[in-house]
Amino acid sequence: MPPAGIWIDGLVQSCIYMTMAFGMVLVFSILGILNWTHGQFYMLGAFVVYYAVTAAGVPFPLSLLISGVIVGALGMVVEKLVIERLTGPGYGLLAVTAATMALIFFFEGAAGMAFGLMAKGMATTLPGVLDMGSFSISYQKIAVIIFTLVIMVAMYIVLNRTKVGKAIRATAQQPDAASLYGVNVGWVSLIVMGIGCSLAAMAGGIMGPVQSVDPFMGRIPMIMSLLAIVIGGLGSLTGAIVGGIILGLLNSVIAYKISYFSEVALFLLVIVILLIRPQGLFGAAPK
Amino acid sequence: MIKWYKVSSLLVVVVMVLSLLATACAAEQQKPAPPQPTGPITINVGVPMPLSGTAAPWGQIPTPLREGFIQVFNKDGFKVGDQTYNIKMVQVDDENTPEGGSAAAKELIENDGCKFFVGHWSWNFSAIAAVTNPAKVIFLTRNGAPDALPASWAGGGAYDPKTMPYVVFGTPSQEEFLADCFALVDAFPNYKKIGLVDSSVSKGGPGWIAVQKALDKQGVRWASEWFTPGTTDFSPMLTRLHEEGCDIVFVAGWVGEYMAMLKQRWELGYKDMHIACSGPFVSMDIYQSVVGVDAFEGAIGSYEAPWAFKKTKVNPNIIAQCQETLKIAAQTTGGPYDYTGEFPWVPAHVEILTQAMQKAGSVSDPDAIMNAIRGGTFDTTAGKWTMSGAQTYGSPIVFGTPASLCSIQNGKEVYLSEHPMEPLP
Amino acid sequence: MIIGRYYIDQKSVVPKIVIGAVIALLALVPLFTTSMVTLSTLISSGIWSIAVMGFILILRTGQFSMGQAAFMAIGGYVSAILTVRLGLPYWPSFLAAGVISGIIALGIGLIVLRAGGTSFSIITIAFGEIVRIVALNWDDVTRGASGILTKPPAPITIGNFEINFATNLVPFYYFMFFLVIASALFFWQIDRSRVGGTFRSVAANPVLAEHLGIHLMKYRVIAFTMAGVFTGFAGAYYVTFISVINPLIFDLWKSVQIMMMSIVGGPTLIVGGAIVGSTVLYSLGNYLTQLPVANVQYLVFGAVVVLVLLFLPKGTGLVDLWGKFWRKVFKEPEEYEIPGEFSQEDEE
Repeated sequence: MPPAGIWIDGLVQSCIYMTMAFGMVLVFSILGILNWTHGQFYMLGAFVVYYAVTAAGVPFPLSLLISGVIVGALGMVVEKLVIERLTGPGYGLLAVTAATMALIFFFEGAAGMAFGLMAKGMATTLPGVLDMGSFSISYQKIAVIIFTLVIMVAMYIVLNRTKVGKAIRATAQQPDAASLYGVNVGWVSLIVMGIGCSLAAMAGGIMGPVQSVDPFMGRIPMIMSLLAIVIGGLGSLTGAIVGGIILGLLNSVIAYKISYFSEVALFLLVIVILLIRPQGLFGAAPK
Repeated sequence: MIKWYKVSSLLVVVVMVLSLLATACAAEQQKPAPPQPTGPITINVGVPMPLSGTAAPWGQIPTPLREGFIQVFNKDGFKVGDQTYNIKMVQVDDENTPEGGSAAAKELIENDGCKFFVGHWSWNFSAIAAVTNPAKVIFLTRNGAPDALPASWAGGGAYDPKTMPYVVFGTPSQEEFLADCFALVDAFPNYKKIGLVDSSVSKGGPGWIAVQKALDKQGVRWASEWFTPGTTDFSPMLTRLHEEGCDIVFVAGWVGEYMAMLKQRWELGYKDMHIACSGPFVSMDIYQSVVGVDAFEGAIGSYEAPWAFKKTKVNPNIIAQCQETLKIAAQTTGGPYDYTGEFPWVPAHVEILTQAMQKAGSVSDPDAIMNAIRGGTFDTTAGKWTMSGAQTYGSPIVFGTPASLCSIQNGKEVYLSEHPMEPLP
Repeated sequence: MIIGRYYIDQKSVVPKIVIGAVIALLALVPLFTTSMVTLSTLISSGIWSIAVMGFILILRTGQFSMGQAAFMAIGGYVSAILTVRLGLPYWPSFLAAGVISGIIALGIGLIVLRAGGTSFSIITIAFGEIVRIVALNWDDVTRGASGILTKPPAPITIGNFEINFATNLVPFYYFMFFLVIASALFFWQIDRSRVGGTFRSVAANPVLAEHLGIHLMKYRVIAFTMAGVFTGFAGAYYVTFISVINPLIFDLWKSVQIMMMSIVGGPTLIVGGAIVGSTVLYSLGNYLTQLPVANVQYLVFGAVVVLVLLFLPKGTGLVDLWGKFWRKVFKEPEEYEIPGEFSQEDEE
């Protein structure tokens, strides 16, 4: 049985992958595309929080919200300027996939030029370690777990109890029928992209104190959340959560058992799942 | 009418392409202006260095120090015969990839007329050596990168002294890694076990096999762990090492990985676990802001400030030069500049190269300069050292960089220990 | 799931004589310049263009593979292992590299092409990563991270004339030239043949194609295997050119780069698009890397791809722009009809 520290570590990672994957799946279910730039919104969110906290002196929770709003707006701009123009009749999946992948390089280059390539840190935010006797946990990690719980509850309420949420779910199920009932599908896409990107940004922001902040920090969470939704099933919100948990544990508990071979296990798991059950663990059967 | 258009358009295309090629040729034939016979002559020295991408901080942060040193060095320049020479450093981005290295080397040789490369450390040794050797460009680099080790070693590197006669290992990183382990043992004689952590890229490589043998020979107690490059979460690995009874962890990683390990062992509550890094500290501010002031206390890293050495003697003139360099670097960056880790790289390589030129009596004959380097003794920023020749792996290697360590106390680097470096098989 | 459904065909717009003239001029480049930098850029661009052609061929069947760099790695490793470690001469090893890469592509294709669309792309990413991990850990064969220092092909002596690959880049250039021309002819012929037409119909409407009795898997696997063979050749030649192979060279981002090159050049034309895309992006990247502004190459690289996608209609790339330019400037305006999906064969 792995020690408690490993479980906590796995839980923290699961939380982040879950939040990232949730945003990606939300975008996928409405727009029908994978947003490959998701990890770079995570990175930009972390930078916004960093500058808000260190340069402007904004309190940490508030700066998380600010980064969510700013990067969410940026996501909407990307949706309006790039994604919307590259989807629709006449465009295949390749165009929008290539565009969002190109934006990875664009944002990494831009962040490197604007903020410098050297890592930045926010260790002074929520410093300290809570000693629990046999194990210990840092306040920063507790913050990540609380943050994820809050986000998940908030997303549950938004999706199930509000008008916007109902419109989103209706559009995800049947875009044509939804638009017949007066849902503006264009708006829903925009809002969903905004929500997805601000989730990524806030995840980046909350991880800022835990890790270091640099222009390339988005790559690993991006790949991990992508694999999480592949395991969980494209288009399934439950799948995103379960996939995030599986990956978080794989990267900690399995890594604790078999060290760096966990990477091989990860990719083999993905291939096997895709071959045996291409729609993922929770995905609907392919249309 | 249409036909006329076609013919004219063809002509336009031909003229366009020809003019493009002509400009390319003209640019190529533009030689640097002929040197003035009276003043000092400038020699271009190329530095292929990662300046973009994930490895860029290692290339960028020391740049003010490199430039500062060249500035100090050029005050007097160096004399070969009656002629005074100056050094000009040309730094080009090699992206830390083989293709990037190959392109950067070609660029430096052809467009900047560099006959000498110094200060190189990125992971593209063999790609650059494949360009420099046919061009007879003297290439001062380090050993210990995954491919920059002799092919004759168990596990087999890519370095072959016969086909690469113009390669000089000016900084023996591989031997330094081993000597650092011994320096750790010197500093903590009551250690339980050293946990060696390296990127999975080095696993099973020639350097690793040699280190393993040497450690066993000296009876050092050790365990090892590997991480995939890009890993950010080291908690599983630290827990494994803790359970194996390691109280010192020695990381052959980069800044990001080292910082992550420092922070995570603190979070896991392993407060008595020392974390040491094979590289120098890049900047105290960065570590403190990422790791946290508490967790950063007691961190161990290599320490290359020539005035701090206790066992190695460095020429006082060079120490003065280094201190001046540090002042210049602080001026150019406009803040405190505490990175001393660059001293055994570009500055030491420039010292070796220019002294070899003086001994050879030539600045242009690569064979004469190489002859002077083999077996020669040089006064460098890391002490006075004799280049090994045939008795090691058939190559000129400096066994100079002292494996000197420091630990952080109250946010400052404090000398910890030093161990002499010895050649591996 | 429909990918790459619309192709605007501009290939008959630019006169063949102009294309011929450009090819002839490129063949004469070493007479004008022997600059290492210029030749290296052209050689690398040419080699990447072969990989891009393979990518576009797979795209013709409606799939996009994000693991093409893995086949370059396989080709590179096969040729390096055969020449350096087993001491075989270069040219047979080069052929073997393509063949083995093709066989692996066939095997992988048979398994993973069952999952089409996004799943296929993601499986190919995972495949690329696994190839990299295997290359890194199978020390006995691949020498792990140390990599293998490749040998240039042995000098060829014809009478008094010696072609020596070791001393200068001109033979490398000419063999690249030959390789690109050969692959271009092959892919061009495939693309306009009956098989090429079937590829398009498989992409355009898989259900309809299946109802017409076209075996989807068969054509997907054929395209994937052909691409595998030529990508293997490209990899084998690339590692000989940069003189080393190690697991760090062909990573995920190289596969992404192949995709970007096809987008910028324009996947409408399998040969023209590939060559234009790889030359433009590779030269641009090379140039920007040498600028003193760190990271600017990433920014421009991303921006170019997005701008090409946004401002050239329907993702047709720079080749199409060239065709349009040609039509506007040099050709009298005339009715130009966009050919339908299945009328490709009637074109020539």
